[in-house]
Amino acid sequence: MILQDLAQPRQDYSYAFMDAYAKRELRRRILKAIAIPGYQVPYASRELPIARGWGTGGLQVTLSLVGPESVVKVIDQGADDSVNAANLRRFITRMSGAETTTDTLKATILQSRHRIPEEIMTEGQALVLQVPDPEPLRGVTADMSKASQLHADADYGQIWLLLYEQLVRYRQYIQGASYPSLVNGRYIISPSPIPRWDTPKLHQSAHLTLLSAGREKRLYAVPPYTAVYPLEFSDVPFQVEDQRGWVCKTTGIQNKFMNELPQEDGTAQYELSDSGYAEKLMNRGKTAPTYYDDEGNFYHAGYLRPPVLPTL
Amino acid sequence: MTPPPYTRAEAEARETFLALMWALSYPGRVYQLPAHKPNFELIAGSLLDLETSYFTVDAKLQPVLAQTSAQALPVDRAAYHFFPAIGEEHLAALGEACIGTRLYPDEAATLFIGCALGSGLPLTLRGPGINGAQALQVSGVPKPFWHMRQAVCRFPLGWDVYLVDGQQIVGLPRSVQVEFK
Repeated sequence: MILQDLAQPRQDYSYAFMDAYAKRELRRRILKAIAIPGYQVPYASRELPIARGWGTGGLQVTLSLVGPESVVKVIDQGADDSVNAANLRRFITRMSGAETTTDTLKATILQSRHRIPEEIMTEGQALVLQVPDPEPLRGVTADMSKASQLHADADYGQIWLLLYEQLVRYRQYIQGASYPSLVNGRYIISPSPIPRWDTPKLHQSAHLTLLSAGREKRLYAVPPYTAVYPLEFSDVPFQVEDQRGWVCKTTGIQNKFMNELPQEDGTAQYELSDSGYAEKLMNRGKTAPTYYDDEGNFYHAGYLRPPVLPTL
Repeated sequence: MTPPPYTRAEAEARETFLALMWALSYPGRVYQLPAHKPNFELIAGSLLDLETSYFTVDAKLQPVLAQTSAQALPVDRAAYHFFPAIGEEHLAALGEACIGTRLYPDEAATLFIGCALGSGLPLTLRGPGINGAQALQVSGVPKPFWHMRQAVCRFPLGWDVYLVDGQQIVGLPRSVQVEFK
């Protein structure tokens, strides 16, 4: 054997940027996260040429999954064309040679900042969510070690108290995004700052969801076909955003998640938040069934219940 | 800019990992490891390095696992356990394998067990990753193992098990309930 046989050809970067050790470590942690749905698995979180807090958690997971045959979609608040999404997408393709798409159904890996697309994702797709704050208990205890002890004991009394206080003060749950949800009947997660509209989409989904916080160095997973319930008292059901009557100004569609565009005269116009879906509608492309149908009914019948105003 | 080369080593590690990941995501379904290398060698190559540890009773596998520079540890402390063949005589030792703690359930052991899929004891699986119920037939794993797993897997504690038959692999995370007669 000569030295040349052992040496690799010169390359400036490892495939998919991260070196083999980094990828192996992250892959070991991803497997543990899938085996323990909702449990926050610590991981090393390596340096990337993107600052922490700009999606490095999601990016590392994507880089550990991506290969030349992958098809990647990256969205930021539903949009494929925002700066954060465009930069991450360019970096991923430069480092892996993977194909990109704006079509939810064609993607094998879908990295998202704070939205789940409107069209129902299918088996074998991986949804990677960027998470700024993985700890659902941060609002009730600032101490990380205390919070992990509470998770260990499944001691979630304080977060229920928080919800009760919201009902007493405002007669509704006021948490808008990252609504705390119970996964597989055991761990409460923060489903990353997706709107309440998207939270039910994690329940018994066909796809795999990986949530990763690069700055906080923790990742957790919602495997396919896993029960996910937003926290709610039995007599005051959880509600998604009420956007009835909001019509998209470009596609004319209703009962999908909308961006509100304030106008100079004080009124507002609305626009589909999911730009890939809007693009398909505009081009009269073939669209797949959506999580919420055109009447606003969720695809798991009976999962969302009609609103109840609490009597306190 | 041309992307960095997708080397053979890179492809092997990634494809093996994807098989392991999807097997764990959809428990009971059969996934394929890459074809060109022995199964346990592929798994070791994609998961083991000097930051982790292994245990095996198989003398032939020992040097293959040692090659990864992972640490050989006793059964109660190792992270990854390899049983190319499992008999009742191994179960007493396996009983010591780590099931994690409530604070750190991720410290539990992962077991790779050689077996024959598609014949033998019929199992019904239920739990996360399974739409309703999933049937699976396994031979070459002693029945007391399944009783042991049932006793040990108290979510979030318990072992994550992979059943390996040639290049075929099935995942059984601790979250899955296994029913059998």
